[in-house]
Amino acid sequence: MRGISKAFPGVRALDEVSLTVDAGTVHVLLGQNGAGKSTLMRILCGAHHPDAGAILIDGRPVRLHSPADARRLGVAVIFQEFSLVPYLNLAQNIFLGRELSGRIPGTIDRRKMHAEARRLLDGLGLDADTRTPAHELGIAQQQVVEIAKALSQNARILVMDEPTAALSDREIARLFERVRALKRDGVGIVYISHRLQEIFEIGDRITVLRDGKNVGSFAVEHLENPENPANLENLIRLMVGRQVTAAYRERFCEAPGETLLEVRDLRTGTGVRAAALDVKAGEIVGLAGLVGAGRSELARAIFGADRVVSGTVRMTGAPLRRGPTGAVRAGVALVPENRKTEGLALMRSVQDNVLTAGLRTLFPTGWYRAARAARAVADVISRLRIATPSPARLVRFLSGGNQQKVVVGKWLTAGSRFFIFDEPTRGIDVGAKAELYGVIGGLVADGAAVLMISSELPEVVAVCDRAYVMRDKTIVGELSRTELTEENILRMAMHHG
Amino acid sequence: MDSGGPAQAGRDTRIPGAGYLLVVLLIAFSIFGDGFATLPNILNVGVQSSVLLLLALPMTLIIMTEGLDLSMGAVLSLAGVVLATLLMNGNSLAAAVAAAAGVGLAFGIANGLLVVTLGVPPFVATLGTLGIAQGLALVATGGQSVVGIGDALPALYESRPLGLPFSIAMAAVACLMFGFVVRHTKLGSYVSALGGNREALVLAGVHVNLVHIGVYAGGGLMSGLAALLLTGRINAGHPTAAIGLEFDAIAAVIVGGTSFERGDGTLAGTLIGVLTIGVLKNGLNDLSVSSSLQVASIGVLVIAALVIDRAVAAGRTAGSRA
Repeated sequence: MRGISKAFPGVRALDEVSLTVDAGTVHVLLGQNGAGKSTLMRILCGAHHPDAGAILIDGRPVRLHSPADARRLGVAVIFQEFSLVPYLNLAQNIFLGRELSGRIPGTIDRRKMHAEARRLLDGLGLDADTRTPAHELGIAQQQVVEIAKALSQNARILVMDEPTAALSDREIARLFERVRALKRDGVGIVYISHRLQEIFEIGDRITVLRDGKNVGSFAVEHLENPENPANLENLIRLMVGRQVTAAYRERFCEAPGETLLEVRDLRTGTGVRAAALDVKAGEIVGLAGLVGAGRSELARAIFGADRVVSGTVRMTGAPLRRGPTGAVRAGVALVPENRKTEGLALMRSVQDNVLTAGLRTLFPTGWYRAARAARAVADVISRLRIATPSPARLVRFLSGGNQQKVVVGKWLTAGSRFFIFDEPTRGIDVGAKAELYGVIGGLVADGAAVLMISSELPEVVAVCDRAYVMRDKTIVGELSRTELTEENILRMAMHHG
Repeated sequence: MDSGGPAQAGRDTRIPGAGYLLVVLLIAFSIFGDGFATLPNILNVGVQSSVLLLLALPMTLIIMTEGLDLSMGAVLSLAGVVLATLLMNGNSLAAAVAAAAGVGLAFGIANGLLVVTLGVPPFVATLGTLGIAQGLALVATGGQSVVGIGDALPALYESRPLGLPFSIAMAAVACLMFGFVVRHTKLGSYVSALGGNREALVLAGVHVNLVHIGVYAGGGLMSGLAALLLTGRINAGHPTAAIGLEFDAIAAVIVGGTSFERGDGTLAGTLIGVLTIGVLKNGLNDLSVSSSLQVASIGVLVIAALVIDRAVAAGRTAGSRA
């Protein structure tokens, strides 16, 4: 891709960006959200048309008028947003738009599609039935199907946009095996990820985008060498355009306050059993474990969103009443994993979203008062430093990091004291992560308590005061600040550790 | 979500709530109704349901795309008027049927263009074409029935291919054709994808708009063809003969377990839905229940079917998580 430019109304998304992918290599594309990575990839797959510049495949300029064109030329994309159809089965999803023809013209060969799908999923270690409708799978499994779908195209150029965002370490290892095999077959791969450590594992070249511009392109060798101009610190600096001083928390909680949340012997309708934990004021407590260990289920049950079979959940000593209403009134807040569907009303303004949970607290009489609402919203925006031109801005137009802050702000107006964060930094860029850690640190500094679910072990180690580890739907251990290392978490989270 | 357990459900084997209701109704009417469980009466249910089925099949696909077609009844009436008028004027049956189908197809394509190309919400677009079709039918006939349609259509209608009443045979052929298309061609996947994840279909390089317009065109075409059965049955063309039939079709689709969201639906469910409504109407007739109460009973049926679906779904979720 040479000198690609693209402008959307009001935004110059790409400015003369060039990218060269050699056969048999992995080219990592780095950049913050909004840096132009996704736009560039959508141009490569024919979904957007560049205003200027050229795309060359095998040295020949090509024009991509539609995704079908790109596909014909051997470009396949694993999208960040799931491109699965919920009520089609896995085989239908994998071959969507490329159904295998049957003997009678115009028909499809369902048996062959299921067999091929089976083979692809086996290669990625997913043993789900290919006749399962996609909506019955968990996010990690859907991601695997998404990858199978791209692999099934036998592409020569494969774009992977955050393929590991939802995967556990074991699934990531499987994926990387496939990637290495593809490299051997001479496939050129564009790899987009926010996980810097993955770059070293499979990357050959790195290109950094910032604000739609190409700000650097390096070979991956010797990145850890501080002498190398492209070392890790430099890459991060290139991405954010400013020096990141402290990405992580500097001060941990020395003397926690009263116990805010107390869970005893909890058993839930979703299979979590014998779960017990405490979270004290001023603490950030991690909830670690592999995908499927039951962390989200436990969190949802504490929040009252899933059925509790037996056991107790107490908030400042008082048992929670059933359902989210009881939890919210007692000061429990949930910042869910899927902020776009479970945390926000995307088509409403920042103000509307911030006020949703706090209406009861702000207006105890039941009468809405515009001045008080505006004051509360302005307060939240400045306290969390939400980057929005006005409270009336639709949440849809905010960046991922700022959307996440709006979810937090929603609970601030409700006066919550105990916050559950479920994978809070998933899919947001390095700079926004640091800011979000600041927000979480600010919450506990003000006397709140935080339970943080995270699949990113470095994050748990760097941010949490202590952590519980889950395995097979139960809590298998607790790690204090001094014991909290990635190795210890993994040892507990995996079987026979 | 943090739920990574293996999905154990294989093939989608849900029985729509109406399946249970249908069995209950059949048993109840057999016990309490006079002459319900006789072969002639059962064939009668089939004949009465055939027009509804011709509309409900394409309606299922339209609803699966998160759309709606309110114009079906009116388009059917208009096509019936065109059919009857052409026959009355001595045109051949083939020409008249082709014209009726053409009228239906034209309205279907118009619906598709409005919804897909112009982005008019389906409810609004098809409410508009409903008005236009109904108005044209009334203008063309002055509000009167078109009678004296000759012998060709009644003869066809009274024929018994394979020993079956013509309308049942035609409905069966329609069922088989829709079933084949959905199950054995790409279109089946595409219809579900239109409602479930349109973007995925675009990125898969499918001519999405064409498929989407085609779904509405199919609805129009089937409305036009259904005019053949309705006109044959009443032996005349009437400008308001099929008024409101689209609501029965929508009810049948809902009763059959198709949801208005995310491309979830099955043709088999719709067949059960149509039969349930047919059996209910027939049985209540048999028991001399007034037609006004029958209308209310369909409302109860729709709600009962949904409640059962919800209960079954809740049971499944609990069962698979335990």
